[in-house]
Amino acid sequence: MISAMGKYAILILAAASLAILAACTSRSEEPEPDAPVMLQTATPLPTRSARPEIAPELRTTPEASSPGASGEIPYGGVFTRNWSDPPTLDPHLVTDTTSAGIVVEIFSGLVSLDENLEISPELAESWSISGGGTVYEFTLRKDLKFSNGDPVTTEDFRWSLERAAHPDTESPVAEIYLGDIIGIDEIIDGRGNVTSADGIEVIDERTIRLRIDGPKAYFLAKMTYPTAYVLNRANVNAGGDTWTDEAVGTGPFVLEEYRIGQRMVLARNENYWGRKAYLDNVVMNLAGGVSMSMYENDEIDITGVGLADLNRVQDPTEDLNADLIRVPPQFSISYVGFNVDEPPFDDPKFRQALNYAVDKETIAEHVYSGLVLPAYGIIPPGFPGFSEEIKGLRFDLEKAKQLLQESRYADPESRPRITVTIPGTGGLPGRDVQVVKDMWSENLGVEIEIQQVEWATYLQDLNRSRLQAWGGLGWEADYPDPQDFIDILFHSESAGNHGAYSNPDVDRLVEQARTEQDIIRRVQLYNEAEQIILDDSAWLPMWFDTEGLALLKSWVKDYAFTPIIIPKLKNIYIQK
Amino acid sequence: MLTYSLRRLMWTPVLLVFVSFFVFLLGTYGPGDPVEIRLGNNYTPELAERLRDRLGLNDPFPVQYGRFLGRALRGDLGESLTFRGRDVITLIGPKLLTSAQLNVAGAIVAFGFGTPLGFYAAKRQGTWIDPSLVVGALVIFALPVFLTGPLAILVFAVNLDWVPVSGWGGLFDYRVVLPALTTGLPGIAVFVRLMRASTLDVLGQEYIQMARSKGLRASVVNYRHVARNALLPIITILGFTIAGLFGGSLITELIFGIPGIGRLALDSVFSRDYPVITALTLLGAVSLVVANLVIDIIYTLIDPRIRLR
Repeated sequence: MISAMGKYAILILAAASLAILAACTSRSEEPEPDAPVMLQTATPLPTRSARPEIAPELRTTPEASSPGASGEIPYGGVFTRNWSDPPTLDPHLVTDTTSAGIVVEIFSGLVSLDENLEISPELAESWSISGGGTVYEFTLRKDLKFSNGDPVTTEDFRWSLERAAHPDTESPVAEIYLGDIIGIDEIIDGRGNVTSADGIEVIDERTIRLRIDGPKAYFLAKMTYPTAYVLNRANVNAGGDTWTDEAVGTGPFVLEEYRIGQRMVLARNENYWGRKAYLDNVVMNLAGGVSMSMYENDEIDITGVGLADLNRVQDPTEDLNADLIRVPPQFSISYVGFNVDEPPFDDPKFRQALNYAVDKETIAEHVYSGLVLPAYGIIPPGFPGFSEEIKGLRFDLEKAKQLLQESRYADPESRPRITVTIPGTGGLPGRDVQVVKDMWSENLGVEIEIQQVEWATYLQDLNRSRLQAWGGLGWEADYPDPQDFIDILFHSESAGNHGAYSNPDVDRLVEQARTEQDIIRRVQLYNEAEQIILDDSAWLPMWFDTEGLALLKSWVKDYAFTPIIIPKLKNIYIQK
Repeated sequence: MLTYSLRRLMWTPVLLVFVSFFVFLLGTYGPGDPVEIRLGNNYTPELAERLRDRLGLNDPFPVQYGRFLGRALRGDLGESLTFRGRDVITLIGPKLLTSAQLNVAGAIVAFGFGTPLGFYAAKRQGTWIDPSLVVGALVIFALPVFLTGPLAILVFAVNLDWVPVSGWGGLFDYRVVLPALTTGLPGIAVFVRLMRASTLDVLGQEYIQMARSKGLRASVVNYRHVARNALLPIITILGFTIAGLFGGSLITELIFGIPGIGRLALDSVFSRDYPVITALTLLGAVSLVVANLVIDIIYTLIDPRIRLR
């Protein structure tokens, strides 16, 4: 449901009660966000990893070894890691990081993101944009083959895009990722009677033209998402709902073995168009286990570092210390959301007062030992569209008190009851919401109640806008465009806008930005919108992700950590 | 006795209908919705409605339940809502088998260590051995699995390097040792206490005095008369262990990376995967009934008095 590359963004939730389990069952190889928040993936509870200050001499990523220096990169070897059962391996249905991490290795599309998160050619060797930014013409590489040897043609792409949109496919993301293409919405809404889209035009075997409904700058970025991947028609039709058991793809790897809850094995795709993967196999243990101990016993090659092991791995006299690597932050933000239709959150002054009254620096330092980065904006640092100029509402007690007095809810007697709902199954609520509660109470005399509900219920209430205020939630980028944050979360019509926030100026700005061709101007539009949102205090932004730690065996070379899921296993090689 | 058991067995289908009805009822009217969980952040009311329609979740309760019953009678428990296209039975089958093997291994450990120790403690009543065994058992019982599991890993896998940290190869694979010990450990305490009490009870019986006064050898008295009779109540407990055979040992499974039913059960509840939840609940009910039957049968085999009746 929700995950990094997965759909637009990830909900991050604090799963307090299961922390014990999480601590001993981390299954995700890379430390996921950080101490206060956890990624909600469909299955596992990822590691709670910490993001400490670490020595500068640590490698940033597994050494960017230039293979030229030592000669040939050796082919062969096996890379082993913990993973968990993907909810789906059908690229058109993928919405979560667990699935996406595997799907991007088995399948591929016209374009892809490289390690710098730039759009790069994948199955299309080139493309041209015309029609004022509304017509995209892609040229496929020569002699493309599926992993079973079948040729890949533009006809396969046309079929795949239309299949992704077909209601029978039940893709939750077809509209989001493909909806810009003319005719796709008609297929989605066509109850199965419409099967082809006018905007998809096969020119010849190697040329396909896509027409979109406006000059949308982010369209190409969306085409890197698995919803736009090419599938083998015969393969899909032959296998029913479980066709992915015998998946035929175009990615650098093929699925060799999958036993649910046990293990998954990927093998090199010998029909891959580019340089073949160095590794013979990637083995993913799906059954869980104590990640850290498994790593120490050489049963897996990579593990995140949990809070419990933090001191040990940072001790230079420990053997493990040599394997320590830094994991760049994910592009994510966690926040406390307000439903601006519900009193007392319908008064901007009241919301502003709440924002000014929270001393995030102090919480970060004393509660999280500096493991989190206080957020004063919406777009995370380093993400396209991030601006130093954005001014958030920093802790200012005087201002907070004054704004509270000016608000309609200055009088505690007549102020409506405030309930902040957080997800979780028993146990302690997230520490940040607890501390925020105390700060509001002490600094402003505003009392709130924290209510914890189980994830499924939480999600339902959130979707129905039944929550007055909510915490323990976050958002993570799926593709590098500010639209992913500002438009999706704050446009008054967006399904991702859970707090009923509505400002005509913001709507106008983000709508304008959707089709703005000038990159600088476009970013400016998003920045303006972001500033308005912050001034309106639609949220209380809490934390951005910070750097994390992981352990990687020294024989694993060229493993790249990226804040967004991209195909990366083919570059890994083993040198013992 | 057996007739009674068999009659009870005949009621099982009725029990199952009841159980499934309540699981269904809770699923339908409880909070949370599998479709919204599947959609996550991509939720739009239209999309959710369409999916619900396709999954038949919009049908009235009796229709849904009727459809389920009809299918279930033909041995089809439906498809998982989380793992698309996966038949519930094929999804949980192998995992059940794994959990069952783990539980058997655990029961062997618990029974194998617990009963002799309990018997020994009873025979040594009045010496320091008895209370120290009982206290030791209590301490062991108090150790939670999430402590003993990682501790066992630390000692035997990481430090001594005798066994791998994780992995599963079935009941006859050496990797079963640590998980079996971890699961079985609290059970040892249970069996020590039970066997001790039961043995003491038997030791006080007149027929034991009779056997002794007949001049039977101590070993014959101990094993043929005392131990055998003392085992009777233990069998009941063992029977209930069998009932729990298919219940995964969630924490043990998670710690040792065993592909059992525990995690699936937990996940299916969180993701409102009703077909899986229903199947697992039904299975729980069936195993309880079967376990009771098994206990009855074992009783008759062990205790001649019951057989005669």
